[in-house]
Amino acid sequence: MAETILKVENLSKVFTSGKTKIRAVNNVTFHVCQGETVGIVGESGCGKTTLGRCIVRAHQSTEGKVLYRAADGQEYDLQNIDKKQLLKIRREIQMIFQDPYSSLDPRMTVYDIILEPLKANFKDMPKKEMEERVKTMALKVGLNPSYLKRYPHAFSGGQRQRIGIARALILYPRLIVCDEAVSALDVSVQAQVINLLKDLQKEMNLTYLFISHDLSVVEHISDKVGVMYLGQMMEYAPTKQLFRKPFHPYSEALLSAVPIADPEIEMKRIPLNGEIPSPANAPSGCFFHTRCKYVKPQCAKDSVEILEKEEMRYVACHLKDELDLSGIV
Amino acid sequence: MAENQVVLNVQDLKIGIKMEEGLLTPVRGVNFDLHTNETLGLVGESGCGKSLSCKAILGINSKNCITTGAIEFIEKDGEKKDIVSMSCAGKEIRKIRGKSISMIFQEPMSAFSPLFTVGRQMVETVYMHVTKDKKTAKEMVLDTMKKVGISNPEKRYRQYPHEFSGGMLQRALIAMALVCNPRILIADEPTTALDVTIQAQILELLKEIQDNYGMAILYITHDLGTVAQICDRVAVMYLGRIIETAPTKELFANPVHPYTKGLLGSVHKIGGGSGRLFSIEGSVPLAMNLEDRCGFYDRCTDKDVLLCGGVEPGLKQVGEDHYAACCLDFKK
Repeated sequence: MAETILKVENLSKVFTSGKTKIRAVNNVTFHVCQGETVGIVGESGCGKTTLGRCIVRAHQSTEGKVLYRAADGQEYDLQNIDKKQLLKIRREIQMIFQDPYSSLDPRMTVYDIILEPLKANFKDMPKKEMEERVKTMALKVGLNPSYLKRYPHAFSGGQRQRIGIARALILYPRLIVCDEAVSALDVSVQAQVINLLKDLQKEMNLTYLFISHDLSVVEHISDKVGVMYLGQMMEYAPTKQLFRKPFHPYSEALLSAVPIADPEIEMKRIPLNGEIPSPANAPSGCFFHTRCKYVKPQCAKDSVEILEKEEMRYVACHLKDELDLSGIV
Repeated sequence: MAENQVVLNVQDLKIGIKMEEGLLTPVRGVNFDLHTNETLGLVGESGCGKSLSCKAILGINSKNCITTGAIEFIEKDGEKKDIVSMSCAGKEIRKIRGKSISMIFQEPMSAFSPLFTVGRQMVETVYMHVTKDKKTAKEMVLDTMKKVGISNPEKRYRQYPHEFSGGMLQRALIAMALVCNPRILIADEPTTALDVTIQAQILELLKEIQDNYGMAILYITHDLGTVAQICDRVAVMYLGRIIETAPTKELFANPVHPYTKGLLGSVHKIGGGSGRLFSIEGSVPLAMNLEDRCGFYDRCTDKDVLLCGGVEPGLKQVGEDHYAACCLDFKK
């Protein structure tokens, strides 16, 4: 079995604004193996974007560890190492963002955008070598090197996303956090970019943390999936197993709501009462209890922990041993 | 069920925008009709012209758009009105907007003014088209709010848009569009910005409303999943023209046009394994100075140089109620 490259342990992130406390990420624990793709799904306010940012330490977490096994074989807690070490390790961990329009500096040429991480980390590299690397990376992601001196506005959304990918890959990282990396793209462009990400993963032995609200894309690209709700990881399992048979009522409801691109299949949606509560005002006990159709008195009183139910399958539900839920297919 | 009547007839709709570099033609000859009790999906990717075409039905495109062709709207009493000939700011079109033809948009937060209560904004439509009596108007609005599943409408009436969640605000927008009982509802990507569980609620709501009101829905989207679930018929647009139309089940089962095939192939179906997704090579060309041949020619992998290099094809019948604009012969 592949080695673990990332261990997130009891990670929490609380944002405080005056008297309001928002637990954006609430005691999240999961592991990622090298070379695999882990999808993180959830709806508004579930904390998946904040989780991604905590992992690359764009946010300082309130509690918990992010243990990363670097190329040198050592394990580092990204949340607690000093700045010098962090700068070195960051070369191995990169991020691809959602919005191809705001994630590229409009005043830099595409060449400079892709070059920037190289310049920042390898100041002494000869200019010719840097140029070679940028051109190679551009070709790898399907960009024509002769267009590199243009500015981002001259490119389409899909092409800009490729630029973002080239920028993330130029340092040959090991772990990439993709935060809704294809959500802003048209369907046929999404397909191109997804195929590209998969090809690059094979070629460069990359590990992806793929954050998305689009369950169809996540099912296609991920080996494992984590389902989040109001900052908590509710379920974590190998993708096919979760989609075939979820163990958490929220996963079941989420899967039943995905519109399937096949008119012969009629959706049997499981209705969820009400709206997603505000993270500033999370319900008592299990956060999902206010909308769960299987709710029992215990659910409103006691908070849940994510526990192993079967091998490699984790679920945070008081009723996990009683429920028999249905998935898709 | 009553026989479905034609409620909208769009013929050879063309929209041009004058730019410094030349004339941009994002809509190059769109033809379709819409019936009562029917949901027609208008599917296409960014830049295909679907939003512009639909905004032309309400005359709400920007002033620099040059619109030609015919958009014939048929009222309940059979009276036919040509929308293209109406002035965009005139009395005639304002009588139709919000009353006989309504529209809902992708971002409900942008569709409401943050400065006024939701109730105040919804009741404005009633004042314009139905009655200026405050009490009756408010009752009509509250009644419609209940119908779209907004709980506690009295309280919500007095709230501001920022006090609503995305899904609830979309319901309010739908209520505002329905309050005067329109013949046609145009929905421009109404669920794209919503969470998937809320999206499912809104799609079900739209279906329910259509059953109750009997109106026609023109549903614009790029999401084939929602098309499969909610649309009776689909029209696929590419580069400013409709290149295929068919009943939904028929389109998904037997797509004819190579672009439709490519689009359907690009979408991952849950449970469909993790093989390579089909992707269409290249990208959509700019709609300027286009040659008079099939718009999909450069990206088509099925093309025949002899058959396809000629004049741009029109819609040909390829099956029952199934039309495709393709030079290749698909008749069995």
